[in-house]
Amino acid sequence: MDLNVIKQKLFRKYLAWICRPSRVKKHLKSSLPAGRKPAPVNRCRVRAAALQLEFKLVENPLDYVDEMHRQVSKAADKGAQLAVFPEYNSLPLLGLLPGSGELEGGARKNAEGEKGNGTDGDLEALLPDLFRYMSPVVQPLVHVLFSSLAEAYGLYIMAGSYTLSENEELVNRAYLYDPSGKLRGAQDKVNLLPRETTWNIKRGSSFSVFKTPLGNLGLPVCMDATYYETFRALELAGADLALLPIADPQQYNFWLALRGIWPRVQESPLYGLKGALVGNVAGFIFTGRAGIFAPLELTPAGDGVLDEVEPCDREAMAVADLDLEALHALRADHPWRDQNLALYRRYFPGIYGSQI
Amino acid sequence: MQVSAISLAEINLESLSRYRADLSKILDSSNPDLAVLPAYSALALGLGTGAFMPGPDFGATFYIFSADNEGWNDIFLDLHADLAREKGLYLAAGTTVEREGSSYYHTAYCFDPAGELCCRQRQTHLSQIEREYDFSRGEELDIFELEGPGGKPYRAGLVVGNDARHPEVGRILALRGADLVLHSGALDAGPNCWAQAAGMWSQVQQNQFFAVEAQLYSSLEGLPFEAASAVLGPCEITPGKSGYLARGYPQTPAVTAGLDEEARQEIKNNYPVLELLNRGAFSDLVNLYYDPEESRETERMYGFKRY
Repeated sequence: MDLNVIKQKLFRKYLAWICRPSRVKKHLKSSLPAGRKPAPVNRCRVRAAALQLEFKLVENPLDYVDEMHRQVSKAADKGAQLAVFPEYNSLPLLGLLPGSGELEGGARKNAEGEKGNGTDGDLEALLPDLFRYMSPVVQPLVHVLFSSLAEAYGLYIMAGSYTLSENEELVNRAYLYDPSGKLRGAQDKVNLLPRETTWNIKRGSSFSVFKTPLGNLGLPVCMDATYYETFRALELAGADLALLPIADPQQYNFWLALRGIWPRVQESPLYGLKGALVGNVAGFIFTGRAGIFAPLELTPAGDGVLDEVEPCDREAMAVADLDLEALHALRADHPWRDQNLALYRRYFPGIYGSQI
Repeated sequence: MQVSAISLAEINLESLSRYRADLSKILDSSNPDLAVLPAYSALALGLGTGAFMPGPDFGATFYIFSADNEGWNDIFLDLHADLAREKGLYLAAGTTVEREGSSYYHTAYCFDPAGELCCRQRQTHLSQIEREYDFSRGEELDIFELEGPGGKPYRAGLVVGNDARHPEVGRILALRGADLVLHSGALDAGPNCWAQAAGMWSQVQQNQFFAVEAQLYSSLEGLPFEAASAVLGPCEITPGKSGYLARGYPQTPAVTAGLDEEARQEIKNNYPVLELLNRGAFSDLVNLYYDPEESRETERMYGFKRY
């Protein structure tokens, strides 16, 4: 066997050891509150938090654990019953790999406008292999971490999305945990960015809706919100809330950022919660503004925004109360919405390959 | 290719000749290859010229207009066909109410530079109030070909009124090849910029076509209509990445911009939104919509409403 392959295998065993669930549990034990009971559900006032996390590489997995814990604790302190994390939420764990410090240096150069040394492109090409390599380590860590946090704080947590290896294929998968600490559901990203198609990420094939006392929840991932079809499918399948993790790899622009979840909840009346990853690491610039969005008719200013964080490049949190009864009342007696089955039956087979 | 969205502001509606003269003047100063008029243009002109007597409110007025407007439609359409021929441009004349048998449709018309009708489009999604007026839905979305930028063939479709808020419309047009959509709209006066952004702006961004959005600036029997007309394109090829190539105030008579097809093709190549859509994942979408009749039956039988 090639010496490098042996080294890689051994190093992954080491990573699995330092990230092992029992170590995470033990670490959390001293700092977690003693099992808070979930707050009673008032369907007219479901409090939700959308988190904006600043991407920083970690050298110790327990730093990652502490950071996620701090975020959940922050949301719980605001009375949130549901917290939404960003896309690519395991990226900080790439810092566990040797040489990741050099990547940060490359990123700084890139951010300062200096010509890169090729590291960024190299990293992008390497990322799919890194995701595959880290997957067996990341998956159990994420599960034990968010399961413990959800149970301890009595919250629903959409833990963000993770690029994981499954049967030799990569998926970009979002996870939902309930207040008992159970994994309530998962959703693979259905519509991919060009970059992700070159990484050969496998696309999800449909959207699921998870029934909870806080409403029926859908978990589309980032690019999925580019398309009206996603939110229409979720709405028609009974969803009330769309929990959207994003990691937008471009400089912030109000209009570009407006193209995702905001128009989608106008087209298909849902509450939309966007958790955002921001920061600048290894040549990747992520920007965004986490927020909680709703149909225009359900927002005090009539602008479709219940709360949206100010910074586009720093940690922040949006918090808002959602009224499921008002959402249902709007849907039942909507001033301008309509559907035209004859039209859809005429054209959808041609454009989506529908069987009627 | 130069396109204009006309709001009817600064156009005298009191006689056909003054209307034609004012509209001609605006077209001459904007000099577009294609112009779009807003929704309810035939009604506004019918009321302005006194061809129709208003009812006590907008709803009643609309009823009166719908019931007996066939002769007026001929006059209205002939005028715009003639104007298109005279100016040598594509002219989307806005909308009128079209009657077929016992059905009424909110319909837009477009004439080519020879004055021939090149597209007639019925509104496919009705608002609550339009359903109360007993309007019917169009069941087709037509695409027509026009001479586009650089003399190349360009495919276009018309988007009528409330259809701007229904993304199925833009998607069907885009996936059937539309490069450009022409929207005749009318929004109630008030803080409506977000409602507008949720309409054509959103459809343009998720389909990467150009759009000419003509919004009515007029008050029809106590109901003021005011929204900003605009020419839209994918964010990446517009100033400030705003998605607007040009945008006026509600009272701006005409908003004009050039369409850069090369730039649109470039962004479509770099970020091919429609190619990236996982169409197969939505093959069952059509079966998720519910039939209102079936829904009423479900409600009657089980006592709950399916949204």
